[in-house]
Amino acid sequence: MPPSQGSAHPLRLLGVYAALLAVIYALVFFTGDKSSTPRLGIDLQGGTRVTLTARTPDGGKPNQDSLKKAQDIIENRVNGLGVAGSEVVIDGDNLVITVPGDDGQQARALATTARLYIRPVLNAVPAAQRGTTPPPAPGGVPPVPGEAPAPPAPAPGEVPPSVGDPASGGEPAPQPEPAPQQRVFPAQAPTQPPTDPNLSPQQLAQKEIQDAKAQRQSTDPTVQQAAMAALDCTKQDPLQGNDDPKLPLVTCSTDGQEILLLDKSRIDGQEIKSATSGMNTQQARHEVYLEFKSAGSDEWAKLTGEYVNKRVAFVLDTKVVSAPVVQQGPQQGGRTQISGNFTAASAKELANTLKYGSLPLSFQTSEAETVSATLGLSSLKAGLLAGAIGLAVVLLYCLAYYRMLGLVTGLSLVASGFAVYGIMVLLGRWIGFTLDLAGIAGLIIGIGMTADSFVVFFERIKDEMREGRSFRSAAPRGWQRARRTILSGNAVSFIAAAVLYVLAVGQVRGFAFTLGLTTILDVIVVFLVTSPLVLLASRTSWWAKPSVNGLGAIQQIARERKAAEAAVGTREGVKTR
Amino acid sequence: MHEQPTHGFFNRLYTGTGAIDVIGRRRMWYLISAAIILISLGSIVFRGFNFGIDFEGGSRVQFPAGSASTSQVEDVYRSAIGTDPVSVQTVGTGGNATILIRSEALNKEQVDALNDALFTEFQPKDKDGTPSRAAISASDVSETWGEQITRKALIALAVFLVLVAIYIAVRFEPHMAIAALAALVFDVTVTAGVYSLVGFEVSPATVIGILTILGFSLYDSVVVFDKVEENTRGILHLSRRTYGEQANLAVNQTLMRSINTALIGILPIVGLMVVAVWMLGVGTLKDLALVQLVGLMVGSFSSIFFATPLLVSIKERWGPVAKHTDRVKARRAGASSARAAYEAERRASAATGRGLGDEPRRPRVPGEAPRPGARPSGKRQKRRH
Repeated sequence: MPPSQGSAHPLRLLGVYAALLAVIYALVFFTGDKSSTPRLGIDLQGGTRVTLTARTPDGGKPNQDSLKKAQDIIENRVNGLGVAGSEVVIDGDNLVITVPGDDGQQARALATTARLYIRPVLNAVPAAQRGTTPPPAPGGVPPVPGEAPAPPAPAPGEVPPSVGDPASGGEPAPQPEPAPQQRVFPAQAPTQPPTDPNLSPQQLAQKEIQDAKAQRQSTDPTVQQAAMAALDCTKQDPLQGNDDPKLPLVTCSTDGQEILLLDKSRIDGQEIKSATSGMNTQQARHEVYLEFKSAGSDEWAKLTGEYVNKRVAFVLDTKVVSAPVVQQGPQQGGRTQISGNFTAASAKELANTLKYGSLPLSFQTSEAETVSATLGLSSLKAGLLAGAIGLAVVLLYCLAYYRMLGLVTGLSLVASGFAVYGIMVLLGRWIGFTLDLAGIAGLIIGIGMTADSFVVFFERIKDEMREGRSFRSAAPRGWQRARRTILSGNAVSFIAAAVLYVLAVGQVRGFAFTLGLTTILDVIVVFLVTSPLVLLASRTSWWAKPSVNGLGAIQQIARERKAAEAAVGTREGVKTR
Repeated sequence: MHEQPTHGFFNRLYTGTGAIDVIGRRRMWYLISAAIILISLGSIVFRGFNFGIDFEGGSRVQFPAGSASTSQVEDVYRSAIGTDPVSVQTVGTGGNATILIRSEALNKEQVDALNDALFTEFQPKDKDGTPSRAAISASDVSETWGEQITRKALIALAVFLVLVAIYIAVRFEPHMAIAALAALVFDVTVTAGVYSLVGFEVSPATVIGILTILGFSLYDSVVVFDKVEENTRGILHLSRRTYGEQANLAVNQTLMRSINTALIGILPIVGLMVVAVWMLGVGTLKDLALVQLVGLMVGSFSSIFFATPLLVSIKERWGPVAKHTDRVKARRAGASSARAAYEAERRASAATGRGLGDEPRRPRVPGEAPRPGARPSGKRQKRRH
């Protein structure tokens, strides 16, 4: 009568689960950053989230390459905000910018298209050279003797790349020497206004931009010289992306090695039709090929005519990405190439920048949300409270309905909860999973799903007992049958969660993810925890008491049936398998 | 007529001994289902939905209420923007109370201006209790966002339906896939209908929430069908009970489970909703909880009272089950000529190639009518319905 598979079996399954938990928590506490809290979404910790939807001219799907490029560009700008933990992720056709904390409001404006301008170079000095220059006098004496505003002269030790017909010259330039030091001079930066706590971040940024404009976009040569002397290329540029194309500009090159004085913009980046990189086999060097649209190509011809043997700069978001010397001009036809000391990779990068410099796609802000830390905190509290209440209510119901066996449900839920928590911490570390409000909703709804496996199992035990079996023999048989049902049901739930996760956008993914996670863990827990516990319980005489397992009514039915069988069975004959 | 004591409704419900004749009265349940669907469709057509800002496009600004009143906030809004807000309300209670402003879509400058004005006027406090601009939460949504989410949801719906139909058809049988999907259409229609009827606000979270109740709905149907399949296994070899009767037994056996599942699913969701509305007032949590709550109830109803009857109706119209049902009925009608019925059954099994299964049939003892609903096939014990 008693199952003779050996009582070690259920215990062994429980042991396997305990080992699983041990592994999970060993990973949590001994690897990575060892923090034991999951990553929280901005709706729980406060912060700004901006969802940008790519808009293609034909309304089609944006090209993944350009989306990736846009992500890089925007990521650079987000990093410029200096808030730790900011990220830009691609979510379908959307870019989602997340900036935690209370300082992320500016993120809302980040998606403005990066601006690319072509400006003639009036003057350039290596940034490092300024190390020997005294801070400018208030009067604005040109700080670098021998360097007049015009004509432009390439900085010593640095041969800029050249632009024009490859046949007309342009030897590969030597690698620019790295600047020995880039020190911050106290007096050199545009004097930062003392941070006024009552200024909004926007007002603050606006003030910074205006100050920078006044200094660096002046038409007055003395102010220009002072600005060149004062500019610190190692600092975040407040003017970034906000320079006025109709005014001259003092700015740095992207590598921070050069400070350039540029004339007003002649060609807008929108006029660049395409840019590609390739190998010039004749001269065995990498080049960037540029093609202008029609208006741009006329202007390019004019510009190259005026600036033969002088430099023109490609300025992206107020920084000079490349300032080649015009080798030949005027260049008609709207095609040109830039040669220089390129590697295949750097040529490609420059081509991409020129082509995509303005963001490769135009974006529309679909959703912008700033959650204050206060609201985030109360959301987190609400979520946890709702979870605790949900858990307690389910437990009470199970205890009321299944009596002491409800305890098994409770233990299963707790076992599952530990695993879910640990896995969320780990996934936060490994794949950047963040728990948001919708995710908490998924977890709470998952409580019901997890408890349901127990319900299915238990109702099956009742079925078996109705047929006259004792609790002891009904439990293993009921488990045999419940197993199939639980697997089938959870498979459907899992398909639902997986489809949602793959196809849905935004916060709903968090919901689908936690729902799917609890579904998988439900199966694991019901096999490794719930069923062994019930099987163990079924072997003790205490659990077999109707007052403990609450199965008195079922046993009563079984007894009545038996009596009826006995009465009828004599007539009909009882078939036993 | 028998010596078994009768039990009360709840006892029969609890013990799964047949409290409700679902299949036998399926016409009634079809009528009820049809009425529910008609009301839902009517409401969707004539009342429409109350779309949230995510579909219309708009802005939402929220900050700790402090001592601010809604009329003061409206004044501040008017002077900052120049137009009236769509609505200003206080949500949450006590220390959690916040002022929620909804308006048409504002551009960045307008949002900034509004934030400035609100900060100057009300000095909302952050979590440390000091007045801070950062205590103001804002969200802007373009009018295309809701559309985008809905489009994605529809794609997800289609993919999900195909995958699940394949799964059920392979794991169970194609008829069950049809019945389960029909129940699912019922669930979605009725949930949408309830939303329209009650005038709940439809947000993207709602749209996606509808997708997740599909999971619930099918889960429920799958559990019931699993039992139906078990109860009707090998039924064609016996002519004591019809498919429908066995299905009814399955429904009753899983009824308590369905009720328990629904309750256990609903309890945390109710908790979630109460807490969400009480502490936060609005947002993703409430929307998801609301749609799940409605969907869970609708799904439990449909898996029992719609999916299973539909399955029986399909089965009894086409295929071997139809013949089997006729045979069982004929046998009961002609109980006096049981021998002839047995012959008929034998011929029928020979014609359909059935009856060669594992379970050898015993010839009936002539003259003995089977007790109606005598015993499930493949079970040891006899039982009354």
